[in-house]
Amino acid sequence: MRLSRRNFLKLVAAMGATAFLSTYKAEVVEALNEVKDYWHICWLNGGACTGCTISFAQATDPDILEIFTSITVGNSRLPIALPDYMETIEPASGWLAEHLKERWKKGTKGRRILIIEGAIQKKGYCVIRGKDFSEHVLDVIDYADHIIAFGACACFGGIPSSHPNPSGAKGLQEFLREEGRDDLASKVINVPCCPGHPDHLVITLTAVMLGMKLELDQHNRPKLFFGRNMHMELCPYRPYYDMGIFETKPGEEGCRYKFGCKGPDVYTDCALRKWNNHVSYCVQVGAPCIGCAEPGFPDRFIPFYEPITNRRPFFNIDPNYVWVGGAVLAGTALMKKKRGEEE
Amino acid sequence: MKVVIDPVTRIEGHLRVTMELESVSTKTGNWFVVGKAYSSGMMFRGFEIFLKGKDPRDAFFFTQRICGVCPAAHAEASNQALDIAFDAVPVPPAATLIRNIIQCAYYIYDHMIHTYLLVGPELGILCKYPPMIPPVLGKEGIAKMGLGSSYAKCIEMQRKANEIVAIWGGKFPHHACGYPGGVTVKPTSERISQTVARAVELWEFVAKTMIRDIQAIIQANETVGEKVSEILGLNIRGLEDIGVGTGNFLSYGMLPDPENYEDWLKVAYGEKGRRKSAVFHAGAWDGSFKDFDLKKIQEFVKYAWYSDEYSGKRPDEEETVVELNKPGAYSWIKAPRYDGKVYEVGPLARMVNTFGLSWRIPRVHPITGEDLGDFVYKVRNPKGSVLDRVVARVANALICANKLIEFAKMLMEFKDSSICKYKDVPETGEGFGLYEAPRGALLHYLKIKNKVIERYQCVVPSTWNQSPRDDMGQPGVMEQSLQCGTTWLPTMDVPTVCSAIWGEDYGNLLRKALAPLGLAELNMEPVNGQKFNTTLALLIIRSFDPCIACAVHVISK
Repeated sequence: MRLSRRNFLKLVAAMGATAFLSTYKAEVVEALNEVKDYWHICWLNGGACTGCTISFAQATDPDILEIFTSITVGNSRLPIALPDYMETIEPASGWLAEHLKERWKKGTKGRRILIIEGAIQKKGYCVIRGKDFSEHVLDVIDYADHIIAFGACACFGGIPSSHPNPSGAKGLQEFLREEGRDDLASKVINVPCCPGHPDHLVITLTAVMLGMKLELDQHNRPKLFFGRNMHMELCPYRPYYDMGIFETKPGEEGCRYKFGCKGPDVYTDCALRKWNNHVSYCVQVGAPCIGCAEPGFPDRFIPFYEPITNRRPFFNIDPNYVWVGGAVLAGTALMKKKRGEEE
Repeated sequence: MKVVIDPVTRIEGHLRVTMELESVSTKTGNWFVVGKAYSSGMMFRGFEIFLKGKDPRDAFFFTQRICGVCPAAHAEASNQALDIAFDAVPVPPAATLIRNIIQCAYYIYDHMIHTYLLVGPELGILCKYPPMIPPVLGKEGIAKMGLGSSYAKCIEMQRKANEIVAIWGGKFPHHACGYPGGVTVKPTSERISQTVARAVELWEFVAKTMIRDIQAIIQANETVGEKVSEILGLNIRGLEDIGVGTGNFLSYGMLPDPENYEDWLKVAYGEKGRRKSAVFHAGAWDGSFKDFDLKKIQEFVKYAWYSDEYSGKRPDEEETVVELNKPGAYSWIKAPRYDGKVYEVGPLARMVNTFGLSWRIPRVHPITGEDLGDFVYKVRNPKGSVLDRVVARVANALICANKLIEFAKMLMEFKDSSICKYKDVPETGEGFGLYEAPRGALLHYLKIKNKVIERYQCVVPSTWNQSPRDDMGQPGVMEQSLQCGTTWLPTMDVPTVCSAIWGEDYGNLLRKALAPLGLAELNMEPVNGQKFNTTLALLIIRSFDPCIACAVHVISK
């Protein structure tokens, strides 16, 4: 089967990201091979733990090596999307590493992808080659034809932005808005989770290279991955909840809601797609969902082991109400009503 | 003249290294070597401040995000500090086994990616060993020339290793199954058999391919040594005389015995000891085995961007205050010292504190029983060197691969037993978590008051190795290794140096391969119109596997 713009997104939606990639790997590689130009990727790493790079290295179908070296442009032998800049794996360092960023800037218009990993902090807290990370971002962002924020930190500030946010960490969109660049902020595709999921990124990149428009939600997340509620629509442990069987301590079997699971507030396809080659995910190993796909992570979801209804007001903000909006409001209200009846 | 490498890539995080050059005259000419070196961590997030006031159980999740390359080690150190603070010790044997399985699998991943993806490319190129040169020609190059065969295989195998972490922890990076007093995940037959299936594949890669590769590097290294000695007119054996360290090695021990957890705990409660019941022992080697003593750790900040007020304090009494424009300071990394001296941490420190300077590791296939012969190695330079660090990392991976399957089999016997010694969050409590991250000794300290975190401190491996100078003026381990006198910075580019060692053909081949990728000037740093080849310096830096996000994590006020 040939992948086309028409059937690609439909198939991903129907099968889930991971199943799609393992079934149509050959077609993805073929489709990318037909895109007859060299794509330039610049992957900047700021206030990060590098977990998103490591997570990307867990991509299975196609794997990171195929993406970077085997999918070549015509018979040029040049890889379709070799990163021009990617601190954690690139061959060059020092002067040359920075110089190769210039090559990225000079790439074919329309084919330059910028991926940001990590938060953007106050000046002085992340300095590369004498220049603050925020300036590095501003330096390249005008050249980017496609901007992807990968992982919770780059999307919404993530862990380092936790109160009192000592380094002033924030997500890319917020940073761009503060810089008066709303035009660019609206272009950012947010691919959250902590770390970002490799399949999400591979599919987002593929969609970008094939020229397809991903439908985004109000937080600029692709609806394809972040359009469904974990608890209401996807959780395999949901029957326990309906039957009133709850895990309250490690080792018990039951719905993780009373063990702190934030599933009801979270929109992501973890339960369906799972992690590391479809092996497992947080809830499956008896742990709660900590809400890493959502804006406001982590402070909106701590303490991680306390049920949603027990969350303490933190920093004078009651996490139960501040973030509840739109569809979430309807869902939560419904569930609260339901909980009221059960408890 | 100063050569600056910024950013140092193929490490975790943001590192800047400044090297003052010295000219050395020998019978063959004048050569530039590193005279003085300065290591600067360039990124700061402030973990210990935002942990204050949070639910102690959240520390397990937060501290993993200190570093996405070694999150599992932070998880374990944090979990052990929590176990003690909650008085939920000893943790049940099943929980210790599950934690050990996660750690073994994750160690194999970590040592593997470092060996092939991070430090490997320089080793492969310098030692003319194609399996470790990155597969720049893709699958065709791998098939026709074996170019990058091990590198490519490593990408597949590290993924399998992390699948084991995910089987037990839900995902990797940042697994989810830790809980004070144990784990949340149950030991089912399915999980155990999924683990063993992958563990056997990992074992075969580590015991066969990795050992073969490292033996090839050890051998080729002799030629590199001979040729470089000829060129420089110095007597250098090889990479065992490059990046020479202090000879002091610190380890906290790892992989506790599930049925003797009491012995493991003693050191964390402040007793002197060596945790000999564990797979890797604790210790403070200074030429011979010495007991480890928690009280001897201090952190100094004279050359870091923090207030001097708390310099020289112990981890449980220090309070760190950012001073962004402090004169003389050049790093976000503090300078931890043991007994006032500079100690190296990492795989080599673990091996030396457990086995001394002579190692013998069995290679018996866990399923077929086939004996591939022991892996035997004698430390070439007892002070530590590039070669010894790289070999130690592979030796560590082999030990973890052996143990992974043992632990998984052992867990079968504990399938129906408790996985957590459950305790509610205490009003007050404190505890040390002392563990080994892949990069070396890792300490977490936690104090609970009114059921929330009052204080959290981490002293991490890259703080030890990449530290700046301390208040006494002693340079950190990596700084000393760079300025040990043999860090040659040639003005010849990489292909030219390789031609001199291995002949013109090889140099030309490299030149042809590098140019179209824009890498003709790989590792060349320009200074005052001249360009210096920093390959050896980068090898030294990367031999420590620096992790800067880890190294910088302290409190700001």
